[in-house]
Amino acid sequence: MKIKWILLGGIIIFLAVLILHPQQEVVISIKEGMPAIPLALPDFMVRSSSPETKALAQELHKIISDDLKYSRVFQLLPKSYYSYIRPLNPEEIFFKDWESIQANILFVGEVQESDGKKILFEGKIYDVKAGRLIFGKRYQSEKVLLRLVAHKMADEIMKIYGERELFTSKIVFISNRDGNDELYMMDYDGHNQTRVTFNKKQDYMPAWSADGKKIAYTSYRNNRAGLYILNPFKGEITEVVSKGTNFAPTFSPDGKKLAFCSTMEEGNPEIYVATSEGKKIKRLTFNKAIDTAPSWSPTSREIAFTSDRGGTPQIYIMDAEGSNIRRISFGGNYHDAPAWSPAGGRIAYVSRVDQIFDIYALNLRTEQVVKLTESNARNETPSWSPDGRHLVFSSNITGTIQLYTIDYDGSNLRRLTSKGESKLPDWSR
Amino acid sequence: MKKAIIFSLAFLMVFAALSSCRGRARVEEVTPPPPPPEVVEQPEVETVEKVEEPVVVKEPELTEEEIFMSKTLEEINLEAPLQMIHFDYDKYFIRDDAKFVLEANADWLKKYDAIVILIEGHCDERGTEEYNLALGEKRAKSTLDYLASLGISTDRIRTISYGKSVPLDPEHNEISWQKNRRAQFLIIKK
Repeated sequence: MKIKWILLGGIIIFLAVLILHPQQEVVISIKEGMPAIPLALPDFMVRSSSPETKALAQELHKIISDDLKYSRVFQLLPKSYYSYIRPLNPEEIFFKDWESIQANILFVGEVQESDGKKILFEGKIYDVKAGRLIFGKRYQSEKVLLRLVAHKMADEIMKIYGERELFTSKIVFISNRDGNDELYMMDYDGHNQTRVTFNKKQDYMPAWSADGKKIAYTSYRNNRAGLYILNPFKGEITEVVSKGTNFAPTFSPDGKKLAFCSTMEEGNPEIYVATSEGKKIKRLTFNKAIDTAPSWSPTSREIAFTSDRGGTPQIYIMDAEGSNIRRISFGGNYHDAPAWSPAGGRIAYVSRVDQIFDIYALNLRTEQVVKLTESNARNETPSWSPDGRHLVFSSNITGTIQLYTIDYDGSNLRRLTSKGESKLPDWSR
Repeated sequence: MKKAIIFSLAFLMVFAALSSCRGRARVEEVTPPPPPPEVVEQPEVETVEKVEEPVVVKEPELTEEEIFMSKTLEEINLEAPLQMIHFDYDKYFIRDDAKFVLEANADWLKKYDAIVILIEGHCDERGTEEYNLALGEKRAKSTLDYLASLGISTDRIRTISYGKSVPLDPEHNEISWQKNRRAQFLIIKK
């Protein structure tokens, strides 16, 4: 009898494992990202016979289409589906038609030219099932700001679904394309690469403030590695500290604090915290080992950082006051550059194995580690997109160091830069 | 009568004396000979001896120290009087081969005791940006500590780290990596 029961129990457990195993993966994939929302984006209407306006409408359509495809929130219906239904008439929309090709959302765009130089763009988002307008917005701008108009519109669509603005976010980075290491910034998709500093000094490790208006960075001046805060839109620079070597700044998501690494006291790299203006500097770590690379949790209550207090560089987490330190990286002897996802659930970092650097993401809830890059190269300095679905990082896979983006699951690798060398990216929130 | 004789005698004597004086002066004027020609030869010898001193006194011999101080910081650093040291991969302890170098550097620093130096810590490309910047600082700091143990005041030493951003050798092989893992010295004040 007993043996029978044990056998039966064993079979049940065995079956349970078999059943649960694939189920677990399903659960994870749901957690990782909800199923993409099917969205119809038919060609935009053009209220002008000028071929230039038609071209602009096509360009706007392409940019918004690229944005939404990149989002992983929406899934664009194939254009071929539109041929099965009646052509779009903005005055009278047949929602049943759109429902029949499985669209949940219908985006209707209209482009007009106003006084020659400007464009007027109107976008309307419809809930297909309910057959009603959810949201509409009109933009007027100079033609040169076409990309910005498109990104703003795409961000509005994201916001309806509770997502953060992604397409108008900016990536700040270091490049030597004009001779020496200076600060540059660009759109999330690599467009509009613009130089920010012109100081002929070596600038290093930039980081956006929470509101995206300021950049903290290291600058080598007069044989010192000082930490500075720059307002690139006003051209104002304030010095935070210039004693010792100061680096790896990072602003807290709540906008109140600035954490960074400094050797200002005893010449040992320690983590410090200051107000977001760089005042009231306070030391957080007290350890003879290296403590560096701080990264705030989304709640601004904890800080992930790198320390070699255990003999090799590993990732630790501490409370924002410096207490309650615990190690979170295991199974390797070189981990660095933690980046805490704004969505909270993950910490991305760099792991070195046999002199190859790859980017991994640790899921803090499941403690599961996903390897995001797979290349015989040095992939470094991950920084999350505002929505936590994408990462920007540097890689020397082509021989020179360039910037790339990749999604949280390792898909959708995209190259963003090609001039000179570019590194140390930081994605605005 | 007697009086008349005395007067006439006195008169005669005065006259005779006066007239004899005139006669002697004339004789003396004629007698002295013209100076001999030999006197012209003597000054020629004296002028030859005199030439030596005034120009030489204005340019004194410079001491080694004075030559050193007359150079600019750029010139001194170009000569690199302080040798750089190298480190093991991922490490920041001072190697035995580096100790000899640092001893020589300490001797030099003792000789020029007004010199203030900057120790730059550098790393090779096989470390991550953030950790490397900290590692470079550690390398500079252990170099500073070793120089301090040799008697150099830490007031004369500053440190900085460049991580892997300023490699000495841009190649990607063992030799260049070893070259790039270094602490080097910059004289910033004399």
